[in-house]
Amino acid sequence: MVGAFEFAPAIALLPLAAFVVALVFGNGMPKKGAYAGILATAGSLLLSLWMLATVAGGEVYNEPLYDWAIGDEITFHFGILIDPLSALMLVIVSLVALLVHIFSLGYMNAEGETGLPRYYAELGLFTFSMLAFVLADNLLMAFMFFELVGLCSYLLIGFWFRTRSAPSAAKKAFLVTRFGDYFFLIGVVAIGATFGTLTFAGDASFVNEAQSAIDAGETFHGFGAETWVTILGLLVLGGVIGKSAQFPLHTWLPDAMEGPTTVSALIHAATMVAAGVYLVARMFGFYALSPTALAIIAFVGGFTALFAATMGVVKDDIKQVLAYSTISQYGYMMLGLGVGGYVAGVFHLMNHAFFKALLFLGAGAVIILMHHEQDMWKMGGLKDKAPVTYYTFLAGALALAGIVPFSGFWSKDEILYDAIILGLEEPIFLVAYSMGLLAVFFTGFYTFRMVFLTFHGKPRSEAARDPHPVGMNVKIPLIVLGVLALLAGVVNLAPVGKIAGMDIMFLEYWLDGQYTEGMTGLTYSEYSDTAGLDTTYIAGSQTITLLIAGALALGLALAGAIVAHVLYNVPEPVPHTENLGAAREVLRSNYYQDEVQVWIAQGLAMPTARMADRFDQSVIDGVVNGVSSVSLFGSGGMKRLQTGVVTNYAALIVLGFIALVVGLGVYGGWFV
Amino acid sequence: MTVGIEYYVLLSAALFCIGLFGVLTRRNALMFLMSVEIMLNAANINLIAFAFYHGNLSGQVFALFTMALAAAEVAVGLGIILVLYRNFRDVDVTVPSAMRW
Amino acid sequence: MMIEALIAVALVGALVTFVAPNRIAGKLAFVISLVPVAISLWMFAVFDGSGNALLDGTLAFESQMEWIQLGDYAITWFVGIDGISLPLVVLTTILVSLAIMSSWTPIDMRESQFYGLVLFIEANLIGVFVALDFFLWFIFWEAVLIPMYLLIGIWGGPRRKYAAIKFFVYTNVASLVMFGSFIALVFALGDGVSSFALPEITAAMLNGGPESFAGIGSGTLTSLVFVAMFLGFAVKVPVVPFHTWLPDAHVEAPTPASVLLAGVLLKMGTYALLRFNFTMFPDQVSQFVVPIAAIAVISVIYGAMLALAQTDLKRIVAYSSVSSMGYVILGLVAYTQFGIGGATFQMVSHGLISGLMFMAVGVIYNATHTRMVTDMSGMADKMPIAVGVLIAGAFGYMGLPLMSGFAAEYFIFFGAFGSEASTYMPLFTGLAMFGIVIVAGYLLFAMQRTLFGPFRLETDYEIRRAPLHDIAPMFVLLGLIIALGVAPELIFEMITDAVDPIVDLAEFGGDA
Repeated sequence: MVGAFEFAPAIALLPLAAFVVALVFGNGMPKKGAYAGILATAGSLLLSLWMLATVAGGEVYNEPLYDWAIGDEITFHFGILIDPLSALMLVIVSLVALLVHIFSLGYMNAEGETGLPRYYAELGLFTFSMLAFVLADNLLMAFMFFELVGLCSYLLIGFWFRTRSAPSAAKKAFLVTRFGDYFFLIGVVAIGATFGTLTFAGDASFVNEAQSAIDAGETFHGFGAETWVTILGLLVLGGVIGKSAQFPLHTWLPDAMEGPTTVSALIHAATMVAAGVYLVARMFGFYALSPTALAIIAFVGGFTALFAATMGVVKDDIKQVLAYSTISQYGYMMLGLGVGGYVAGVFHLMNHAFFKALLFLGAGAVIILMHHEQDMWKMGGLKDKAPVTYYTFLAGALALAGIVPFSGFWSKDEILYDAIILGLEEPIFLVAYSMGLLAVFFTGFYTFRMVFLTFHGKPRSEAARDPHPVGMNVKIPLIVLGVLALLAGVVNLAPVGKIAGMDIMFLEYWLDGQYTEGMTGLTYSEYSDTAGLDTTYIAGSQTITLLIAGALALGLALAGAIVAHVLYNVPEPVPHTENLGAAREVLRSNYYQDEVQVWIAQGLAMPTARMADRFDQSVIDGVVNGVSSVSLFGSGGMKRLQTGVVTNYAALIVLGFIALVVGLGVYGGWFV
Repeated sequence: MTVGIEYYVLLSAALFCIGLFGVLTRRNALMFLMSVEIMLNAANINLIAFAFYHGNLSGQVFALFTMALAAAEVAVGLGIILVLYRNFRDVDVTVPSAMRW
Repeated sequence: MMIEALIAVALVGALVTFVAPNRIAGKLAFVISLVPVAISLWMFAVFDGSGNALLDGTLAFESQMEWIQLGDYAITWFVGIDGISLPLVVLTTILVSLAIMSSWTPIDMRESQFYGLVLFIEANLIGVFVALDFFLWFIFWEAVLIPMYLLIGIWGGPRRKYAAIKFFVYTNVASLVMFGSFIALVFALGDGVSSFALPEITAAMLNGGPESFAGIGSGTLTSLVFVAMFLGFAVKVPVVPFHTWLPDAHVEAPTPASVLLAGVLLKMGTYALLRFNFTMFPDQVSQFVVPIAAIAVISVIYGAMLALAQTDLKRIVAYSSVSSMGYVILGLVAYTQFGIGGATFQMVSHGLISGLMFMAVGVIYNATHTRMVTDMSGMADKMPIAVGVLIAGAFGYMGLPLMSGFAAEYFIFFGAFGSEASTYMPLFTGLAMFGIVIVAGYLLFAMQRTLFGPFRLETDYEIRRAPLHDIAPMFVLLGLIIALGVAPELIFEMITDAVDPIVDLAEFGGDA
């Protein structure tokens, strides 16, 4: 019987085909290969929806595809795992990829870019890598496509390779994420070597093996099983921190704005950056085994959320603001996952995919309007001239800031709620919670600072007075995403459901496998059981806690928005950053994070390398050349025996003979 | 009555030393060549004496070989000396010293 | 007799090319070199051997003939192929063909001699990988040096004489050390062996080993021989600190010679290490695990650091070869299925990738006449296809998944991490893995400076795109790299089959 899942590989392979087609034939095709990409991603989207429907119909799929390398004790394979989580992610990725492809028609083609076949080919490869990563049923396959995602981001960020900055940013993105992947790879190797399996799901998954190792009290390499699991989890987390741009490996992401804006949308919303958080969700059962690892995830997330939000406050470039908001939002997801809020984290991942894609594409539209100007201080007053762009962008901004009833509110609220109920039980998590909460204010502020500077007030430049029109291929993706940013929250109105006692937490049931029969292991409730985190409510009441948490988050977001309104929603806004004093320079320099990393590369690695080179050339090669010099010198002396006079040779022969006879005589005992 | 082997050996040693002295001291190439011949004949005396002493013929056969060899050597050697003289107008062996470091 | 045919075609081809007119020598050599490719691919298709050649495995294409009786020892013409040698033979034939094609552009003097020597190298390289008699093997081993010496010394760069002599003397002295110690070992084995056939010597080594010889006790002697042979092969590999001949030889060698040098000649060292040290001396390996693993890690990290400091593209690739070969040593010393299997896989994979990199650098050099990173930028603008392939090759070098480099490195890391050879193996593995970050650093840095940015290069002529026959070999290599990365089982199956008997020799090692 040919079921839906038989077609699962095609979800990833279609964009791969588009990659090949665009690369080889792109120059001869209409729109330089764009249609191939659009067709492929549309096909992927349809298939993904089919998967979603099939999973909703109660089936999950977990089958190996083919064996990559066969060993005696372990076999590495490629396989496909389609469960509620991956089915949901497939739809998100293919939808965003499709919209980005369509938007590119307006953003890239219409602007007369060169190298378009390369662009569409790389987009196809990017989509392929991400979809295959989502489909992966084992950690090694996940790692492989995780790395390929990194490659594609390198290629796309460096798309405008004729400039100086884009290749540099691309290199930085790959290198920083590579540094994270180094730890991830150790983690993959170590998990495989420790547990003899790398599969995510099923009875023989490494999660189960780890569970039974902990239960049996085994030790590995001198560590107890739980400590070892924590170490392994943190090693894998290294890759997540790199790709999802968490502190301290977030520095590549703002630089990555050198790529085309469409690429930024894809990277931030649905592919590269999302890959990290998705990976944590994918192997959440493993992290659930280690409270320490969870706590570290929560703290990294909470800190990153706040840290990035403060930097977003002072940026002038519209894309830079969005870049820092991405870092901050992924911090929230990590916070949510770290406090055991698996559903909340995934929920925010989904919502963020929609509204961040919307914001980036909106920013792309603004950049078209502004004739490729990105400085917000040169914009203003675009509200009336580009209403579609304005209203969809506003929807995204409201979602990002977390204003009710937009989607971002519901998921962010749920993360913070999960954090506070855990924090009340274990006060240490309150620190992570308060960082997340504080970040809400900054988020509201920088989001609306961006909106007001861009769209409100009076036009502050020639381009803003006379914007370049945008076409339908720009507007359609914006409208689709705008609607989603507004409405996506309805899939999990947890506070409403809990307070009103209604069964409307669809996403939670979905991720808990309540629509699918025979699904074991990868469900929300099992994760919760494994993690075993205790929670407490304020005043012992769930409703009160929900209301207080929601009110705090919403209130701070509104406060931020209002401050932005007061400062910047005026006809002639002025920069108020001077008022920040010394803090301004620190924020503008991104807390000197870049300087530190540049110093590590240029001030530490390069001199060390040069020293090694000098050592190599002088000492090691010196010894080698020294040996040859010594033998040359020695033979230089010896060769003078060769006088060319026959008599001397004869004398030498005789002397040698006499010496030989005497020597043998002494040896033979003649002279004793 | 036979002469003792030791006399032959002494004779041969004496001849060899004379030849060796000639090789080491003479600078005239002809004298050089003659000294070499004397040394070869010293070896011949030894070969024949010991062949006689042991009562087999292989030593004598070797002596014949050596004589043939000596003849050939003289031919080559004289040839070299002629060339030497043609090039250097001299038969002094210390003059041509181009074959050195 | 297929092996004899393989070697004979290359030898006769070398002779024919040597006397052919310069004008057609390149094309002629390429056509001739396709015959060994065809034969080796056919061998690959019908390969029916199993097990390890030295450990009672079933050999494919075996042939054995009396050759010389040397006292108590027989020297035989004894050749055969197992799962370790076959991939290397195929690698050799393919790489030689592609190297010949890639030299059509840069080689413009004494062509017939050049191509004749390349084919002569091919014959000897194949011989090294198929010979199973020590003397026969050693003849091939040494005979490789001579044509390579000439290739570097005649067609090389400005310092070619220095580089060629350094290469020749260094590796030759190392061979002498290895040869002497191995002969001592054979004599010490006494009545246990009656020929120089490697399987017989291996069996004797594993059944008790040598008696005392020349006043040295049995255990000490075995250890001494092990160390001497390791050092002898270490120069060839090369392992830090015996690597300094390599960058000089690479930089001065013409592109095709670099391709063969990095692609196949270095593999001779690791192949010999695997065949001799790691098959005949399992106990000594377990004794020296920590120093060898430390040397491997140092090679990886130190080699990568040196590459980071270079500004000459060829030097960068040369030093990164040192780094990559460190992985092979790490895999070998792990003594696990994936460790040794991965090391063998890495030999093939690195042969392909470094060959590709040298070709790509060569193509850029043909157009720019400079290899200095500081001299150019924005080459991607002028030579998009060549640069595209170079980028792909660079990512292969960095171990990008779905390319063969990743498979090889992953196998090695996995095998080494799970090895029970020493309790420190996970630590060594973790340290060695940092090489993947540094390699990304220096390759990305070099690419950013040379390939991207605004175009800059001072020439008095127009930069033209590379001709098809420069590009085609690179695409073939790229295809092979990706094929092996997507489906490593293509060769990994036969490799593990030949590696398993080695792994079974050791009591340590373990599961992974």
